[in-house]
Amino acid sequence: MLPLRELQLRLCAALKASRAETDPALLGLVSHRGGLAAAQRLAIYADMYRTRLVDVLREDYPRVLTILGDGEFQALACRYLVQHPSTHPSVRYVGRRFADFLAGETGGLLFLGDLARLEWARVEVFDAPDADPLRLSDLESLPASDWPTLRLRPIPACLVVKCAWPVHEIWAAAADATPGRSGAGRPEASTLRVWREGWSVSHAAMGDLERRVFPLLERGEPFARLCAAGEDGLEPEAAAREVGSLLMRWLEDGLLARLPA
Amino acid sequence: MAIAVPFLGHGVGLRPKHFPQLWDGTARVDWFEAISENYMVAGGRPLAALERARAAAPIVLHGVSLSIGSTDRLDEAYLAALRALVRRVEPAWVSDHLCWSGVGGLYAHDLLPLPYTEEALAHVVRRVVAVQERLGRQILIENVSSYLTYTHSTLAEWEFLSAVAERADCGLLLDVNNVYVSAINHGFSTNAYLAGLPADRVGQIHLAGHTDMGTYLFDTHDGPVIEPVWDLYRQALRRFGRVSTLVEWDDRIPELDVVCAEAERARAVEAEVLEETNATSA
Repeated sequence: MLPLRELQLRLCAALKASRAETDPALLGLVSHRGGLAAAQRLAIYADMYRTRLVDVLREDYPRVLTILGDGEFQALACRYLVQHPSTHPSVRYVGRRFADFLAGETGGLLFLGDLARLEWARVEVFDAPDADPLRLSDLESLPASDWPTLRLRPIPACLVVKCAWPVHEIWAAAADATPGRSGAGRPEASTLRVWREGWSVSHAAMGDLERRVFPLLERGEPFARLCAAGEDGLEPEAAAREVGSLLMRWLEDGLLARLPA
Repeated sequence: MAIAVPFLGHGVGLRPKHFPQLWDGTARVDWFEAISENYMVAGGRPLAALERARAAAPIVLHGVSLSIGSTDRLDEAYLAALRALVRRVEPAWVSDHLCWSGVGGLYAHDLLPLPYTEEALAHVVRRVVAVQERLGRQILIENVSSYLTYTHSTLAEWEFLSAVAERADCGLLLDVNNVYVSAINHGFSTNAYLAGLPADRVGQIHLAGHTDMGTYLFDTHDGPVIEPVWDLYRQALRRFGRVSTLVEWDDRIPELDVVCAEAERARAVEAEVLEETNATSA
């Protein structure tokens, strides 16, 4: 009699490698009673394993799916699952390495890894910690003398994604595309912020100024430092105005966390 | 000893498709069963919906990844997350499945059947006891639908399940649809199954739809409960008395009122059986 651990290791390895229904040792362990052959019974589990996990990837990567089409997506997803089987008890994390995998398996679609990176950031932000967003009214009563030392922070449900491709454009184009390959474009570096406002996940491309200033915001640098980072050829007053405009946009987007009491 | 859980009535699974009814206050149910792992997250809409549901009705946590039969060490991080969720929502009870879901650090995310041997029994009993200690409460263990059995099993599934419940002092979540599906797939008697379970350990019943694949039944949870499963539910109520019952619907999920109609049917069936039982004993 095969010890329980040996049985489990053998079946799990066979499911991962898509060979459960042909493993001679497993076939000898499975009963025929009830009308189905052992191979058919093992095949049910092998199919469920693939189907369930590929479905999770389909949900997490809808635009990659649209661009690849179902057949190619399924083939890639199955190869991914062989190389990167789930190691977390929650199925939520099955796709966490899919972007890196796709970056090396693009089959001519060089932007696919970046597009997947954006889609995974959207998944991550969806259930990231909650935080009360800072509102303009919270800042209106702040004395002018406090502004230079004011330390703002983005909400936890905010991520920055750096890409070699304009994936926000590819992502948008894929929404209207019919299934199948589309939306190639040309490489062009982009930095996106992905955030959640209420329950709604959004992303936006960052301009030059925001790209320079946002890392300082993430580090909790004082507002005066943010303004200084915005100078880059501008007069200090003009830079402060530009950073002020950026601040207004962040407030409107619900991107800043409420200040500690 | 027995399982001490309250009678909650006839509930439905908490599913994202029905979250809008939580926000507009039209989700009127006896109780909700929430899939534990879906709410072991830091924040966002799912947790907010769970809080809303908790405010509207009692909650029960039902896990799919405890992997009680795995020969890996218990996943302490998972148990810590489950414990935190239990503290947060104070569920009426916590349940998971009699199965294993992975080994060697890998997760198949499936309810894989165990061989029903003395070795597996001792292993599962030790793990249930350990989990109950970590959570500081009894848990309920559910029978799964299965598509294979092992040639070296020495116990019937109901014997194994009963022994786990008695030795680990846990409760049972009896999935009537799973009994029906597995009975067809493996050719055992549903009567023997129900008769073999300890009545004072059954704390909850599941009902669900399944799909007839021609050569076997597949537990798809994507449609209404079929008549033979309703009949088996009647038998279960005659054997176990009034038990909190929940309708599972996880794929091709219809509007909430359709799922609630199934829960109402369960309520009607229970009333009919209780009336019949009272008439017999009068």
